[in-house]
Amino acid sequence: MSDRRPDLAALGPALLIILCAAVGLRLDSYPQYVIAVAIISMLVGTALVVLVGLARCITLASGSIMAIGAYVSTLAVAQLRVPYLGTLALAILAGGAGGWVIAFLGTRFRGHNLAMVTLVFQSVSIILIRESRWLTGGAEGIHVPAPEIFGLAIATDRAFLIMIGIAVAVMTLIVTILVRGPFGKNLQAASGNEIAAEAFGVSVRGYLTAAFVVSSIAIAFAGALLAPRVRILDPDSFGVLESIFMLAYPIVGGMHAVWGGLIGGGGLRILPELLRPVADYQELFFATLVIFVVMFFPGGLTELIRRVVASKVKPTPPALAPVPAVPAAPTDRDETGPGGHELLLVESVDKHFDALHAVNDASLRVPARAIHGLIGPNGAGKTSLFNILSGFLAADAGRVTFAGTSLLELRPRDRIRLGITRTFQNVAVFGQLSCLDNVIIGLGRNAVLHAMGASFDHFARGAATRGAQRAALAALESVGLAAQAYSRAGSLSLGDQRRLELARAIVYHPRLILLDEPVSGLAESETEDLRELLLRINAERGIAMLVVEHNIPFVSRLCRSLSVMGGGRIVAEGKPADVISLPVVQQLYFGEQATS
Amino acid sequence: MLTELGFVVLAGIKFGALYALAALGLVVVHKATKTVNFAHGAFAMLGAFASFLIVVNWHWPYWAAYLLIPWAIGLIAAAMESAILRPLRRADMFTVVIATVFLGIAISEGFRLTYNTELLAVPSLFAGPPFIVAGVLITRDTLWVIAGALAAALACIALFSYGRFGRGMRAMAANIRGAQLCGYSIDRVYMLAWFLGGGLAGLTGVLIAPVTGVSIDLSIAIITAGFVAGVIGGFDSPKGAIVGGLLLGIAESVSAAYVSSAMKNCVSFLLLFLVLMWRPQGMFPERSGRSV
Amino acid sequence: MPSLDICSATRPAVALAAGIGLLTLAFGAPAQENGITPSEISIGAIGALTGPLAFIGTPGRDSMMLAFDEINAKGGVCGRKLRLDFEHASSPAESVAAVKKLVEQDKVFILVLASGSTGAAAAADYVRQVGVPTYNLYGSTPIIREPFAKNVFHGAVVPVQVSAAALISMFYDGEYTPKKFGILAGTYAFPQATLKAAQDILGQKGATFTVEQFDIGARDFTSQLVSLQRQSVDSVLVLGSFSEAGFAIKQAREMGMANVRWVVDGSAVSTAIIPILGNADGIRGYYNAPAFPGQTPATREFEARLKKQLGSMPQGRPSVYDLIGYGSGYVVAEAIGATNCQLTRDNLINAWSNLKDAGPTRLDGLDITFPESYSPTDHQGVYRIGAAIVKDGQWQVYRVIDKP
Repeated sequence: MSDRRPDLAALGPALLIILCAAVGLRLDSYPQYVIAVAIISMLVGTALVVLVGLARCITLASGSIMAIGAYVSTLAVAQLRVPYLGTLALAILAGGAGGWVIAFLGTRFRGHNLAMVTLVFQSVSIILIRESRWLTGGAEGIHVPAPEIFGLAIATDRAFLIMIGIAVAVMTLIVTILVRGPFGKNLQAASGNEIAAEAFGVSVRGYLTAAFVVSSIAIAFAGALLAPRVRILDPDSFGVLESIFMLAYPIVGGMHAVWGGLIGGGGLRILPELLRPVADYQELFFATLVIFVVMFFPGGLTELIRRVVASKVKPTPPALAPVPAVPAAPTDRDETGPGGHELLLVESVDKHFDALHAVNDASLRVPARAIHGLIGPNGAGKTSLFNILSGFLAADAGRVTFAGTSLLELRPRDRIRLGITRTFQNVAVFGQLSCLDNVIIGLGRNAVLHAMGASFDHFARGAATRGAQRAALAALESVGLAAQAYSRAGSLSLGDQRRLELARAIVYHPRLILLDEPVSGLAESETEDLRELLLRINAERGIAMLVVEHNIPFVSRLCRSLSVMGGGRIVAEGKPADVISLPVVQQLYFGEQATS
Repeated sequence: MLTELGFVVLAGIKFGALYALAALGLVVVHKATKTVNFAHGAFAMLGAFASFLIVVNWHWPYWAAYLLIPWAIGLIAAAMESAILRPLRRADMFTVVIATVFLGIAISEGFRLTYNTELLAVPSLFAGPPFIVAGVLITRDTLWVIAGALAAALACIALFSYGRFGRGMRAMAANIRGAQLCGYSIDRVYMLAWFLGGGLAGLTGVLIAPVTGVSIDLSIAIITAGFVAGVIGGFDSPKGAIVGGLLLGIAESVSAAYVSSAMKNCVSFLLLFLVLMWRPQGMFPERSGRSV
Repeated sequence: MPSLDICSATRPAVALAAGIGLLTLAFGAPAQENGITPSEISIGAIGALTGPLAFIGTPGRDSMMLAFDEINAKGGVCGRKLRLDFEHASSPAESVAAVKKLVEQDKVFILVLASGSTGAAAAADYVRQVGVPTYNLYGSTPIIREPFAKNVFHGAVVPVQVSAAALISMFYDGEYTPKKFGILAGTYAFPQATLKAAQDILGQKGATFTVEQFDIGARDFTSQLVSLQRQSVDSVLVLGSFSEAGFAIKQAREMGMANVRWVVDGSAVSTAIIPILGNADGIRGYYNAPAFPGQTPATREFEARLKKQLGSMPQGRPSVYDLIGYGSGYVVAEAIGATNCQLTRDNLINAWSNLKDAGPTRLDGLDITFPESYSPTDHQGVYRIGAAIVKDGQWQVYRVIDKP
């Protein structure tokens, strides 16, 4: 895969839409009408792929968002005499605002409760529209005037088809670029594994909010485009049942790619036209179809097509760009904090869980470039202390400073900026993303707006994107996973996934990695490999490590110093050989009868 | 003034008891399988329709309806579970939600196709003069609905807490592998949970049929009310379902009377919203273990 | 990812092929010009066959079909058979799609709107633009009738001003003097339009009234009834469907509201309201036909014929929508005949605009509807409306109200 060619595959969905419109132009006006409406539904399908597929949020509010777009646009034209294009922009703003409100209220929840918040928004919006008779015409509805663009009246089906085709293609292109770029990847990471995402600077709430806003903008836009076609807006056209039927678009089409939204939206919207002879059975057919797809084709139609095509076509492995030499650890960085050689300084940290004193006056220090271990039997408080250091648990007392900065008030996702990354006890790779994408997230440049901009850079294969890919490939090379760069992370073995986690943790050139039971579940040979890998990384890149582990031989041959925890306290500290033979440590592990 | 309030609160309790029963059906299924059955309303509608068939079409006595219908609907529900839900056991929550939602729609549509009519009226169970308490007229039917729904709910709770299968369901909900090791079969427990949930739905249908008639929008009305009541009470608590249902019914009735009658539906959603904001785990949350 | 790039070329191709295949299936060759062939005249119609408004569309279709069958059996019109092309449509989106298909693709000669409210309004908006002769059977809301269009004709269902006036007048029948009015109205399109008209009329009369509203499909009216009771109303107008009105009145009685005169909207005047109440005697409402099914020999004969056509009689039918559909079918035939068989759209519109007393009787059909008369400036065919009351468990029209 050539490095410099723009991401042309992203043009695909937009081109399909233009193609549909082009085909329609050669047909009569009734088919043109149907195709135009189907194209609008393709946009809705795309928007729902973002929200339902990537962000994994169930939304029952699509109907109300569409209503908001339609009503805002129509009222702006009818009452305020705003030109139609301007009202499209207003509809976008209104839709985005609606999506933001839903996200603000709902993203503290997941699953059913989030769906409930969207249901509340949906119902209350429609009720408000229906009750505001003076403004919206209430249940009787309002008439939608024919749009005018630069003085040209859009009144024929042909003109509508052209306008809708262009508008939807543009919006779809934008959404596709976002989905294929870092924004989409980070969104999948955020919804796939929240904790790992936060640890690498991906704000889960921020991304979910962005998903709601982006999809609502697209759906409201669709509503504004549709309004002149249906001529009369009434609130009952945008009810809960409509929202539910729109959910079927990504389900039947495929939830994980924009194509799915296109196929599902377009196909299902055309269905009633095809089912005219059996109009009675329309909804039954629809519902049965959805159940059928959900049971037998879980990925939707796109998954089916992909499997059929992939079984016929063998993928050729990509030509990998030549791997640059492992960069030397930068020497101009200030490796030490004001406290001398201490990079991480933990002082008298305390944590209670009700009556349990999980961490009791624990202190330790990790010098720059050091590999320090933290061992202790189960229930000793290691994990609690570790979670405090990585920001997922609040301490009751004590101080934790990193190169002079206090860590305790920092959110987990701000640690990466300081140069702290971590791995996880239950391996936390982003399974549906490629290894390369996993590592790119490790670069930490994951603020929502930045990621959106980076998506456009990704589309154009700009310098920033190429730089990120090079750095990620280098990291993968140093852990020995370069050949797997484009494989799905979820398909790797456990050992390889742990390596991937490591690659993700080092790509940023952090100063400290927190490793949580890095060899748990690995076979003897894999443990050895990982130990050597860690030593090499430490030597070549000068990264300090704090390792929590149960595997004593591993730890004693990896770490240059150890802290031992028991019952919440640090009971011993020093070189591995010295510490392990201490009676107090032996007693911790083997009990009173231990003979040294 | 007080008489008025009495009427309003009584109506709230009547519907609240029905909502409670509906919510209980949802809670039973959720407690055992960790999924919400969105087809629950459709099952209740089937129960109501069945009572129309039995009482109006076939002229059987009413008690036959009460006896037969919960079993029949329970069996249908269990059959749906093994046909549709079992293959989806490993799927993510979204897929299961979608499957049950569209199952409900399919059932409703199927009913409409076989009996295309706007409403089927079902006669009241009791004829006879109403009781008068402090100026408030209480019809026999109202009393029956309230008493019947609450009694059924309490019986169900007892079964769940003390019966062997109730224990099995709770064990399975808490720890699937552990429960399997103890000899409980997933398939049987899930089917039983759906059977019980379906039976409750059927009973709800029979009770509600004289009050609202049998129509296709019964299925949406019941699932919405049941779900909202479940969220209010907490989805893992049977007694939460009862409290949630009663609270919802009374809140709807009172606000419709004293705030705005047109916004009745709005109220249940606002109540839901308030509960989500302040106490998202419901009024009676399952005490969860601390995660370390 | 490699497989994605390779697939990305084939996937749109597959999708496109599928799409085009489906499209060509759906859009077959369009019909003859203007819906006239040497053997057939095609009449298009839209209405709800499923969903909450199916109680309007399904009878419309069934009975219009019965009328056409009878006419065709007698040789048709202008030597051609009448063919009904009925498309399901309920919401505005569906209605626009359906009328476009009928008018642009199937090229029907006449379009019949057998749907209510918003769907009909969307279709009417379209036909005003396109000019096809259109016959609105059931839509009573103003948004369908304004602005005036010379190709749109309104049949048996009268404008809300007329029906509201009829409803109010029924409160004064039988030497009854209403003291305090209450109106119970649904918040959806149908009742709201009538509510507005009724409020205007009561306001002009200087009568005191109070309004309570309910959501579509409501079954519990305690709060509304409590409020009406508090105001000691003795005359209540219920604007809603038969199920809503039925349960409201039933509940009112359970709450002890006796001595109230109930008048219900036409959509509630149906046999289906009677089982809800048990004893419905004394309830009044308007009816868009001169007699209720079963009240006259003609309607009894109609019921028999409809039953033969459908196989069995669904609950609540024949309804007023059946009667109107049948009568309207004959009006269409008569309008076509009045062109002297010069079958062009313009001739039809002219002929229709001068039709007087059109209905089944001229073509040997059953006399079960009000005759329709049009003029070039007034396209409302009927202004008469029946006043009906439940007596001995049956609805009957006891008085015909002429144009107020």
